[in-house]
Amino acid sequence: MSDGSMSLTLKIWRQADASSQGDFRVYKVHGISPDQSFLEMLDVLNEQLIQQGEEPVAFDHDCREGICGMCSLMINGQAHGPERTTTTCQLHMRHFRSGDTIVIEPWRAKAFPVLRDLVVDRSAFDRIISKGGYVSVNTGNAPDGNAILIPKENADKAFEAATCIGCGACVAACKNASAMLFVSAKVSQMAMLPQGQPERTMRVQSMVAQMDAEGFGGCTNTNECEAACPVGISVENIARLNREYLRAVTVGRS
Amino acid sequence: MSWVIKAFSSSIGKKLLLAISGLALCGFLVAHLAGNLLLYVGPEVYNKYADALHAQKILLPIAEVGLLGLFVIHLANALRTNRENREARPVGYEVRQSKQPPSAFLKPASSVMYGTGIVVLLFLLLHLSDFRFELRNPAVAELTPFNKAQVLLRDPLTAIVYIIGSCSLGYHVSHGVQSAFQTLGVNHPKYNWLIGTVSKAFGLLVALGFGSFPLWAWAFHS
Amino acid sequence: MTTTASSVLDGRCPTGPISERWEKRKNELKLVSPTNKRKYEILVVGTGLAGASAAASLAELGYNVKAFCFQDTPRRAHSIAAQGGINAAKNYQNDGDSVFRLFADTIKGGDFRSRESNVHRLAELSVNIIDQCVAQGVPFAREYGGLLSNRTFGGALVSRTFYARGQTGQQLLLGAYSALMRQQHVGRLKVFARREMLDVVVVDGVARGIVVRNLVTGQLETYSGHAVLLCTGGYGTVYYLSTNAKGCNVTANWRAYKRGAYFANPCYTQIHPTCIPVHGDYQSKLTLMSESLRNDGRVWVPAKMGDQRSPDQIPDADRDYYLERRYPTYGNMAPRDVASRAAKERCDLGYGVGAGGQAVYLDFTDAIRRDGEAAIRARYGNLFDMYHKITDENPYSSPMRIYPAVHYTMGGLWVDYHLQSTIPGLFVLGEANFSDHGSNRLGASALMQGLADGYFVAPYTVGDHIASRKLAPVTTDHPEFERCVGETRARIYKLLNVNGRRSADSFHRELGKLMWDYCGMSRSEKGLQQVIQKIRGLREEFWQNVKVPGSGNALNQNLEQAGRVADFLEFGELLALDALTRRESCGGHFREEYQTKDNDTLRDDANFSHVAAWRFAGENQDPVRHVEPLSFQDVQPVQRSYK
Repeated sequence: MSDGSMSLTLKIWRQADASSQGDFRVYKVHGISPDQSFLEMLDVLNEQLIQQGEEPVAFDHDCREGICGMCSLMINGQAHGPERTTTTCQLHMRHFRSGDTIVIEPWRAKAFPVLRDLVVDRSAFDRIISKGGYVSVNTGNAPDGNAILIPKENADKAFEAATCIGCGACVAACKNASAMLFVSAKVSQMAMLPQGQPERTMRVQSMVAQMDAEGFGGCTNTNECEAACPVGISVENIARLNREYLRAVTVGRS
Repeated sequence: MSWVIKAFSSSIGKKLLLAISGLALCGFLVAHLAGNLLLYVGPEVYNKYADALHAQKILLPIAEVGLLGLFVIHLANALRTNRENREARPVGYEVRQSKQPPSAFLKPASSVMYGTGIVVLLFLLLHLSDFRFELRNPAVAELTPFNKAQVLLRDPLTAIVYIIGSCSLGYHVSHGVQSAFQTLGVNHPKYNWLIGTVSKAFGLLVALGFGSFPLWAWAFHS
Repeated sequence: MTTTASSVLDGRCPTGPISERWEKRKNELKLVSPTNKRKYEILVVGTGLAGASAAASLAELGYNVKAFCFQDTPRRAHSIAAQGGINAAKNYQNDGDSVFRLFADTIKGGDFRSRESNVHRLAELSVNIIDQCVAQGVPFAREYGGLLSNRTFGGALVSRTFYARGQTGQQLLLGAYSALMRQQHVGRLKVFARREMLDVVVVDGVARGIVVRNLVTGQLETYSGHAVLLCTGGYGTVYYLSTNAKGCNVTANWRAYKRGAYFANPCYTQIHPTCIPVHGDYQSKLTLMSESLRNDGRVWVPAKMGDQRSPDQIPDADRDYYLERRYPTYGNMAPRDVASRAAKERCDLGYGVGAGGQAVYLDFTDAIRRDGEAAIRARYGNLFDMYHKITDENPYSSPMRIYPAVHYTMGGLWVDYHLQSTIPGLFVLGEANFSDHGSNRLGASALMQGLADGYFVAPYTVGDHIASRKLAPVTTDHPEFERCVGETRARIYKLLNVNGRRSADSFHRELGKLMWDYCGMSRSEKGLQQVIQKIRGLREEFWQNVKVPGSGNALNQNLEQAGRVADFLEFGELLALDALTRRESCGGHFREEYQTKDNDTLRDDANFSHVAAWRFAGENQDPVRHVEPLSFQDVQPVQRSYK
């Protein structure tokens, strides 16, 4: 399958299901090409495991071009591996050396229970969004797209916040398993756009309440989330979230 | 008032309390340090300052209770958020590595706030028992404030403990100040460098300022 | 070997002037009373642009909606990967655009193989989509004055593409997803993630439910409803290597096909001209570089065969900007099928660059010189970064190497004007249906179609289905559900018990290679006949030699994949058969026997101006070919020319 020259030792977390105990297993893979992506390297391992009659390693992935946010993996203690602003699917083996031992773990957080091996349940993010990560506008009600003027700078800032792919690396990397970066990205996007203003006060309060209810930790401003974020969402958004929260609880009427 | 309780019981609310109380305590540190620096001016000036302070029979107790209040808020929220933050990851990682540029220190201040906080707490208890309640050495009650400081600090072991305490405090606030600004939502690309620099400079000032007193007492007056 | 049915398929298109047809039909559609809507259950499979927008809109109307996706959350659907933009006939740029022009461009781009009524409706609705998305807070690119910005896309001479840097699909999908989540909060809608649809349950000839596998527990679950909407995307991964996500599959559509939904024009596949070339056997997918890059990038190959100099050493005189040379009017913005074939033609003749000679240059040197690197970075930064990450080459300093790759499939389940398949109550939206793009889709039109179907068509036509049919109450206790679950379970059991030696993935790779070699960018009578035999052989081997480890009662990704590959092994044959019977070239379907002297497609309007929709006739039976004739009144079929 592979035509490369790298040999690697992989120490991978294996767990049958959410209620089972898991443990680490060690595997060896050979012939890995430096141009292969990290997930393609795992494909090789799984092909090998199937040949040996073992169960392949389960890991989440889909688009493999860094946008769907489905891939995860703690690689040698770093969310999405050593490269900054890179998802695991876009991480290439040229960033490792032949002979390396790579430790691969699932995201760890109370709010992200492990479902199997490296697959975790991130539906907590959906529940947070459902509490207010939207503009309440029914289909068909919209005014003309150019009826609302939005300064380019605001549109660009909102866009940058909106590029969050919801992968959960921020939670995985944070020492407190905090989801502040994720929540702040959505709150910021809406706070910077005129469309988000009517629900501004309610949105931040209910999203933060849900974030807390899911069991995520709090923010201690270590900025590890920003460093781990594969799309480079800035902690500036967390400050904005704090600001929005402070504003909402002090001047908001609900 | 239920909205106040509700507002400050969320994760962000707790963090806001931590930030506000922390900044207020930093304000106290500034006043405390400024007063203590009078030690270097001379015994007369320092004693005059201390006596004037202690003569405040109404304001001083109010300030003390206020400080205690701030401290309790800071400590209680720190303990609570720390416990909750630990609970947020019941199963830890086998390996962990930061993706941030390496820190000049062994561990960045932000990642050891709880640890430095505990050290500061122990230091504070010792400090209060020495100076406020005079438990370790009741004899100092008879001395002038200037001599009291000299006598208490010149013990080498005490000096070392006070230096460690001061440095921990400095390291704690070097992240604490900028973190408080971030928590209060003050983050702007134009001013972030300023906040960061002020915070680190403040930490350094606290460590050097408070850390210098035992050295002074020990080195020059033993 | 194929039978063509004598009866003609009726698309239920309205009559009258083209610009009034949708309005007219909307006035004829039956309505469900607001208080009754909550009594009806609607099942939406797939949560991409079409699925999420339809599910949210139907829930807003008051229906009870259940939305299913195989990913861990609806926000991951592959619409998210669409880069370049979304077309809308807003004419904000004052460059002469109009609904009619968008309609005409789409018909022409589709090489006169799409339904006029559908396409016109699409063009009309395009303007509403932009408004809707802006209202949701989708951060489209803006000009300094605060107005929406546009860019140009292939196959058009006007600037009508709205975009959000190189992540338009992501932003639109997150908009639709947020609407979905809002309805979940309100309680009108429930999302069932990590569920894969494995069967459609048809009761008394009407689609009344689905069978899904819970991908976490492995349990088969059944859901009943008054309408089923398949918004399950295209089948590009039949080629294994494509720009689609790994999870994209034809299973839901293929299961529906086997229950009586006709499959239309499967041979219409789109090969996207600007993708990162294949670089190794281990490769699991191909990455698209948005077509918008062709706005500023110039495509070229060395003019001398086998020129080994590095690109910066080759002077302009020794370069062949073959798109600009062959198509002076459209130049680098020629439609996708045209640009792809042109690249293949150069590479097949030996002018290709890079290892293996299977690539052409996409060069930004001139644009960077003209506008500055900062401007180019602002426009395409994320795409350049992606290229850099994958290839380890810096596209700001040396030209990108690109090659065509499978990207989109215009074919899909046959639907009428109401987006209803040949199974009443089974609606098909977005890329999963065949309806709007003919034999070639123009850039920035997929997002438009998915959202038009979901936001603005299905909410009307699904209501009409419910209002005009007397639907008896059906629960999942109905024996038909039991039968479908039994068949699904048997199939899973069969997959798990072959216990051979080859992984499902290896079969998929082999199938993909067959499809690409014989049924990819160019096709021939002989090749297609051969590949049908080869696919049959491979399918036979699959059922004797596939190895699916693990059990059916747990999260088992190999089982999921094996099921999908098994369906592809059947579907691939239908695709080849459709390509074989369509003895003409049109759009993405290029038959070597039918080409102009300039290697362009040569249509046969006399014999093939129709939709071919295939009916499943039973296992091991040849499918039956049905025909829906196409007529063109508002845009006259001509030989496409982008010169």
